Amino acid sequence: MRHLLTELRQGLARNVSMHIAVVLTLFVSLTLAGVGVLSQREADKTVEYLGNELQITVWLCKADDDRPGCLGLVTDQQQRQVERTLEESPDVRAAEYVPQDEAYRLAQGLFDAELFEGGEDAPLQVADFRASYRVTPQQPDEIEGITSAVQGLEGVSYLSDQREELQPVYQIIDYLKFGSLGFAAALLLAALLLVANTVRLAALARRKEIGIMRLVGASGLYISLPFLAEALFMALLGVVLSGGALAALMQFGIVEGVSQQLQFLPWVGWPDYLFTLAVIGITGPLLTVLPTLLLTRKYSKV
Amino acid sequence: MIRFEKVTKAYPGPGKPALDSVTVEVEKGEFVFLVGASGSGKSTALRLILRETRPSDGRVYVAGKEINRLAGWKVPRLRRQIGTVFQDFRLLNTKSVGENVAFAMQVTGHSRKEIRRAVPETLEMVGLQGKASRMPDELSGGEQQRVAIARAVVNEPMILIADEPTGNLDPATSNDIMTLLERINAETDMTVVMATHDESIVDRYRKRVIELHQGRLVRDEAGGGYGGRPTTTPQGV
Repeated sequence: MRHLLTELRQGLARNVSMHIAVVLTLFVSLTLAGVGVLSQREADKTVEYLGNELQITVWLCKADDDRPGCLGLVTDQQQRQVERTLEESPDVRAAEYVPQDEAYRLAQGLFDAELFEGGEDAPLQVADFRASYRVTPQQPDEIEGITSAVQGLEGVSYLSDQREELQPVYQIIDYLKFGSLGFAAALLLAALLLVANTVRLAALARRKEIGIMRLVGASGLYISLPFLAEALFMALLGVVLSGGALAALMQFGIVEGVSQQLQFLPWVGWPDYLFTLAVIGITGPLLTVLPTLLLTRKYSKV
Repeated sequence: MIRFEKVTKAYPGPGKPALDSVTVEVEKGEFVFLVGASGSGKSTALRLILRETRPSDGRVYVAGKEINRLAGWKVPRLRRQIGTVFQDFRLLNTKSVGENVAFAMQVTGHSRKEIRRAVPETLEMVGLQGKASRMPDELSGGEQQRVAIARAVVNEPMILIADEPTGNLDPATSNDIMTLLERINAETDMTVVMATHDESIVDRYRKRVIELHQGRLVRDEAGGGYGGRPTTTPQGV
């Protein structure tokens, strides 16, 4: 053990600049990989949350509707046909009818009261609203069956899909996820090559010592141990720095940041951070230990 | 202790094999000079004993093990039975004399207690008592070679391989080193195989001489001189 610690100290001191380069590259690449993992979990949460609530709204015609499929206010017969179609569709889990007056009442809770004041002169009247069906699909991702069944039915004004409105949110998460994972992959490759170079240089600096070790009968593992200790030490530093950076991102960027401003979305929390920490805690050492093992096997081959 | 049975070693590429069907045996406790011109196959023979390479054909036995069949992970154990000394000493210049000798024990897993006992004893045996804390570059060539010998024998191997150990030394110092090797051989019953170009030493010490020429064994003579007549008939001639 004493020999190992001495070798580790000497090894780290021998090539300080290279070791700093490895640690910094590991730090940045693991942090980016961590951001990628957190983004993935954020995407999962968002889809899970919004996906459950995702509904298609089938708007029925109002009296003065100028949509192509409308010839006036939807008739009871047309409405029943729409309802029957939805009930018979295997893709529909549930369909809730929202009549015109209910739509009017809901709008009163969302918009300025002025719009509804003034009796018959009020800017918004019951007749301005459309009755609708709020349809929950069996599978949030599969709505084509429903739209093709309902679209074009008499009395149907149009269909709206909330997901179109949420597309930008998903897109931002995707950019963040794939962008950070892409950069992380490039940087992790750089870290891998840097580690390989560091091992090569260290082996070159110690070639006489390694030669003697081999001759007197030191085992391959014994020869490799100082290299492995160096690799693990660098990985540990990279993971600690990266874990710190990700913790700061969580606290100031998410917990005290966006989660306060965008409360309608679910946000990743500390359990997700711990999961991410475990991922980088495994990736970091693997990145340094694997090339070290492969290369030292080559240099310490007996 | 060491047995070559029709050993041929060919390296990739055209040309004659480095060793060509060599059969020879060295008994425990023997002192053998391995002589021959450059390229005669001496180094290949030593590398085969150390299992740094394997024969292309034939069998090599070292300390009772057939090295052809020896698994890679067992090689370190074999090498602990063999001490090695080189022409260029190969000392670690950042370590003191004592540390250089202790290094061979440390890396083979000896305890600190064993090291503390064995290192001064071995330094005394090679005539370097009191110089444990000196650095290699503070020593003469002869003293450096003594350190290398101490490092080679501190683990009490069964075989000592000496590859041109006097090649960098003046005649008087070479003689001291030879005396030391002879004493180690006599006192410890360690088998010594010494590859050399040094005619005067071979002629003076009159040990068993194994001579190689272009990869073939051309002489195996007890008490022979450097330039003796071939006493074995190379196979196939």
